[in-house]
Amino acid sequence: MLFHIDFKTGKSPYLQLVDQVRYAAASGGLRTGEPLPSVRQLAEELRVNRNTIAKAYAELESQGVIETVAGKGCFIRDGNTPFTKSVRQRLLVKEVDEAVVTAHHLQVERADFLALVKERLDYFEHKASKEKS
Amino acid sequence: MNDTPIIEIQDLHRRYGKQDAVNGLSLRVQPGRCYGFFGRNGAGKTTTIKCLLNLLRPTSGIVRVFGLDPQRDEVAVKSRIAYVPDSVAFYPWMTVRDTLDYLASFRANWNRDIEVDLLRRFGLKEDQKAASMSKGQKTQLALIGAICPEPELLLLDEPTSGLDPIVRREFIETVIGAYQSGDPGSRTVFISTHLISEFEGLIDEFTIIEEGRELLTMEADAARERFKKIRARFAQPPARFDLPGALSVKQSGRELEILANGTSEEIISRLKTLQPEDLQSESLSLEEIFVASKTLIAARA
Repeated sequence: MLFHIDFKTGKSPYLQLVDQVRYAAASGGLRTGEPLPSVRQLAEELRVNRNTIAKAYAELESQGVIETVAGKGCFIRDGNTPFTKSVRQRLLVKEVDEAVVTAHHLQVERADFLALVKERLDYFEHKASKEKS
Repeated sequence: MNDTPIIEIQDLHRRYGKQDAVNGLSLRVQPGRCYGFFGRNGAGKTTTIKCLLNLLRPTSGIVRVFGLDPQRDEVAVKSRIAYVPDSVAFYPWMTVRDTLDYLASFRANWNRDIEVDLLRRFGLKEDQKAASMSKGQKTQLALIGAICPEPELLLLDEPTSGLDPIVRREFIETVIGAYQSGDPGSRTVFISTHLISEFEGLIDEFTIIEEGRELLTMEADAARERFKKIRARFAQPPARFDLPGALSVKQSGRELEILANGTSEEIISRLKTLQPEDLQSESLSLEEIFVASKTLIAARA
């Protein structure tokens, strides 16, 4: 798995890493049980502060995306999140809202927007199942 | 004890004759941080660092390192610091081996594993004499000498100026990898540089110094969040626009480039009402913030 940090996006480097791991875990780029690079290794590779990587891993762990095994490192967890369904939905609302607002500015119609969401869901499911086989 | 800043400077002045090299500087570095000290040549960076090391005495003001006075507790302070200056000099007749043994003889602690690892990484031969080493190799040797004692504070003064890009990269990777591998709370880095872009990912917090005074101190993430460059293109050149908190606006025909200071969202929504064909925003890098810092400060005043 290759990660990339872009300082121009305005998003904290640690959050970029969180997003990339989550994306990879959702799309099959990283599978359940697969290890993440060590903090030192990834920090050197991306030439960022180790605190940045450590913070990202701590965040991923609290979100239930990865787990830390003492002395062995960090691994992708199975898809079960520790949050209840209502909490999970609430967490998602903000991001959906952002997409809806952007769609409005870009004058994307309701039907087209929904079609796009379906298409992306299919894309991720397809990608994940392809990775598994 | 953990609340004691690693470096504390209050209203530091250092005069050379009639010239004020440092003119009322204050800053504070917390443990475990990687702190950038940015300034142009002659801004007072090296003078400040020399005051931390008691290589220079302040004309006035307070300097504390680990809560101690570097002048009164010189040995206690220096034994916990390592310093890599911009140009390093070694005794020319000594080999790499001699030099490292000589440096180790001043230290209570010397990590042999790191030494072996870094000598191999840099491809330095132990029997090579300092006289025949390139500038890059001398800097690498100085870095090994600075990291092996596992100091609590690593002071780097323009460490990568004059080095080729590969040596620079290795230098930074070594600081991240070998130095930061210890307990993060007791690994503080203070880097003075004007080559900011290569340290971008490493810096947690920075101070920009200008004519011996602090111009701007910020967390790196907060700074990138606050300072944005917005580009907009319109079908027609916009006739009139009023953009709140814009530091500068450049117009070229139908295109605008705006530097925003914390108000990028307001500016973007204002621009959207003018129905742009294209609208993009990006963060300023730390280097761009440094270059623009005079404008930033003029706007703040």
